[in-house]
Amino acid sequence: MRGVIGQSLTPVLLTRFAQAFGTHTGSGTIVVGRDPRTSGEMVKHAVIAGILSSGGRVVDVGVCPVPTVQLQVRRRKAHGGIAITASHNPAEWNALKFIGSNGLFLDSGQARELLDIYHQGEYTKVSGEEIRSVEEVEGAGDAHVKAVIDTLGPLPSAGKKLKVVLDSCNGAGSIVGPKLLEALGADVIPINVTPDGSFPRPAEPLPENLGDLCAAVKKHGADVGFAQDMDADRLAIVNEKGIPIGEDYTLVLAALYVLGHERGPVVANLSTTSALEDVAKKFDCPLFLTKIGEVNVTDKMQQQNAVIGGEGNGGVIYPRINFARDSLVGMALVLHLLAESGKTVSQLLEQFPRYTVVKEKMACPSEKIPAILKMLRHEYGEFPLDTRDGVKVTLPEGWFLVRGSNTEPIIRVVAESRSESQAREIVSRIYARVASCIH
Amino acid sequence: MKPLKIGITGVRGIVGETFTPELAVEFAQAFGTYLDGGRILVCRDTRPSGPMIRSAVLAGLLAAGCEIVDLGICPTPSMQLAVKWLEADGGIAITAGHNPWRWNALKFVRGDGLYLNPQQAEELLDIFHQNEFLKATWKGIRSSVLYDDPIPKHIEELQKAFAVDVIRKRRLVVAVDCCNGACSLLSPRWLEVLGCEVLALNNDPTAPFPHAPEPKPATMAQLCALVKAGRADIGFAHDADGERLGLVTDLGEALSEEMTLALAADIRLRTQPGTIVTNVSTTQAIDCIASQRGGNVVRTPVGQTFISEGLLEHDGVLGGEGSGGITVPEVHLTHDSAAAIGLILEHLAQTEERISDMVQYLPRLATLKHDVAVEPHRLYSVLQEFRAVVEQEGLTFDSTDGVKVTMPEGWAHVRASNTESIIRIIVEAKEKGKAAELLDWARDRIRIS
Repeated sequence: MRGVIGQSLTPVLLTRFAQAFGTHTGSGTIVVGRDPRTSGEMVKHAVIAGILSSGGRVVDVGVCPVPTVQLQVRRRKAHGGIAITASHNPAEWNALKFIGSNGLFLDSGQARELLDIYHQGEYTKVSGEEIRSVEEVEGAGDAHVKAVIDTLGPLPSAGKKLKVVLDSCNGAGSIVGPKLLEALGADVIPINVTPDGSFPRPAEPLPENLGDLCAAVKKHGADVGFAQDMDADRLAIVNEKGIPIGEDYTLVLAALYVLGHERGPVVANLSTTSALEDVAKKFDCPLFLTKIGEVNVTDKMQQQNAVIGGEGNGGVIYPRINFARDSLVGMALVLHLLAESGKTVSQLLEQFPRYTVVKEKMACPSEKIPAILKMLRHEYGEFPLDTRDGVKVTLPEGWFLVRGSNTEPIIRVVAESRSESQAREIVSRIYARVASCIH
Repeated sequence: MKPLKIGITGVRGIVGETFTPELAVEFAQAFGTYLDGGRILVCRDTRPSGPMIRSAVLAGLLAAGCEIVDLGICPTPSMQLAVKWLEADGGIAITAGHNPWRWNALKFVRGDGLYLNPQQAEELLDIFHQNEFLKATWKGIRSSVLYDDPIPKHIEELQKAFAVDVIRKRRLVVAVDCCNGACSLLSPRWLEVLGCEVLALNNDPTAPFPHAPEPKPATMAQLCALVKAGRADIGFAHDADGERLGLVTDLGEALSEEMTLALAADIRLRTQPGTIVTNVSTTQAIDCIASQRGGNVVRTPVGQTFISEGLLEHDGVLGGEGSGGITVPEVHLTHDSAAAIGLILEHLAQTEERISDMVQYLPRLATLKHDVAVEPHRLYSVLQEFRAVVEQEGLTFDSTDGVKVTMPEGWAHVRASNTESIIRIIVEAKEKGKAAELLDWARDRIRIS
């Protein structure tokens, strides 16, 4: 449920959605948290009014990362949660992300039920006497830091302190991010840690948005640079040379640490880099790839009792601490890896083949997609195919994936290869083929 | 299901039925639009639905681009004063005053601390109905701050209006029933400043209303017992948000709510002869008192906004309504039970009179009140039909507010309530028997279907 403040995102709409959610969760305890967007306070109040009206009780954890909200839901055995954030969308947006009692985002079935309740407009409405309360909680961030330290411990004190630059994008990680790094025992250089609702850069931690972070890493001679997005679930990494390693590699480094300590299944989606497979093979652990979408990954992780999982967008899911994409957990795992191995980020990645992922997208009406996918299945029938989510073709030189989007009328083409030029060649070849089908 | 009541006092209804969070959001956003996104104060009484409605109001005001100062739980008159010293453009009080526990309401206050007048209320309603609200962008949206404890400033203003030193010297023993409402935060403190020995009852703002939050003899039994047991000089009964005041004499007798204004008018006119402003539904005793003491009475339609405007227009020395709401103009031009307390205690301190004695000399008339529930769409037709009957019978009447018929034995006033979908009948006569006859007379002429 998302929209633009001053336009489609109105308090009446928000209050109704919150009532629908309160009704859906059976008037239970709902944890509410938000990122620092300027519209967040207004949205929060609309949500609180809706939850209280439908008989629910609110635990307001204030401005904090989405994974913190998810952790709180599970810890408190709450009936659900609402994270008020529009992730990496620009400042004028905001949105509600609904979390179930298991701390995970609603799956499609639950989301449909919620929408039904919203559309019918028949919400539970309790009388004045039955209305419950709002509990304001201040320490959710600290509890999150503690959860990480309790599980992984601080960084080993022997050896030199790791120097870390953190760019929190003035987002939800601005306060708790530096706190975590200090608790770990790292030397923290924070940039963009003022959660006043301003956007110092585009929020998505893509390489092209990390210029300031890269410069800071070089200037301070840091061991690593971390970039969070607005709601602190995704993590991007910059190496000691001040070069972004690519969002796919966040999970690769996290898995490298985790599997080195505990063998077990690894889960990612079909769009993830082959480097993850290399890491899994190194430790003789099975890798499961799922359809794109966090819910698919977490489902599989639960099914397989995975020890680590995530998606190629920088989201690290480490169930031992938090069953959610968690940038704090990601940072802790990577720093422990650096401390333990004594290697630099580049050295760690050098032990594996380096791949390049190239992503493209083009406008495409949704009704044309099935025919395009059928064409690809036919033309690439002799290669290993995975057709669970679009068409993924494994080539000798790498792989490519073509799939539509659930949210926009576009078609995506992703390819990976050992060499950048080869990856680009695959992408342009497939892109042209797909384009010819559209027009 | 009791219907929603939208009118000059704002919007009120039963939470869980018609008074939904969407309604509160939209009304707040409409008010924010009406005041062009300025600084708005928000306060509430102690009803359990208060926090829910407060969040809805905050969301609506913030969406309209307002800056909010949230006074938390505090009496409405305290917020009305604060509008001025906090330089706000207006305020919203989340309180249903004397209505039972399950109700709540929004009352809209303008930049001078007074309620919206009927034209302004219409304008606000228009904005609400048109649904064309100001919608702040992410750059323009502002935030809400909590203002902790606006009560000391209220007490400061009250002190300026009364001879506090004289009252303190007397160490009056005062019993007060705050109904676990917003006055729990004001009255005991005000009474302490006045040097009283305070016997406070039901002053826990976190506890439910112990009885209906309407100060009238039926709800004052506990207070009477306390006055007697504590040998108090007087007992005060509050509603949920500090507008209305009920009195118990030093002998432990609960006075009719009409007597609060009668007593206050008597006290005021002794030292400041002038104009008393009240409404057409209030006891005739006020007129008797005024003629005895050398004052005069101006009568307005029922509703605080009319009393305020009447006081301004006629330079009144005191305002009030038979419901127990008293306005002491030198404090501010709105009902304020704390100001009424100051006025009464000042008199007791200065004259050493006893309330029970004073009340002996006041004209005591028999008043009867009866409410008739009517479907909202029939409300004004029923009134029109009553008016037609009265005209047919050749009787003269006052149409300031509904229909008030004065007869030799007394008077009968039939009007539509501002706060609920009911027809209110109030009759008054010299004694009960006659009053009962008048009530029957009126009821016989009202057809609801």
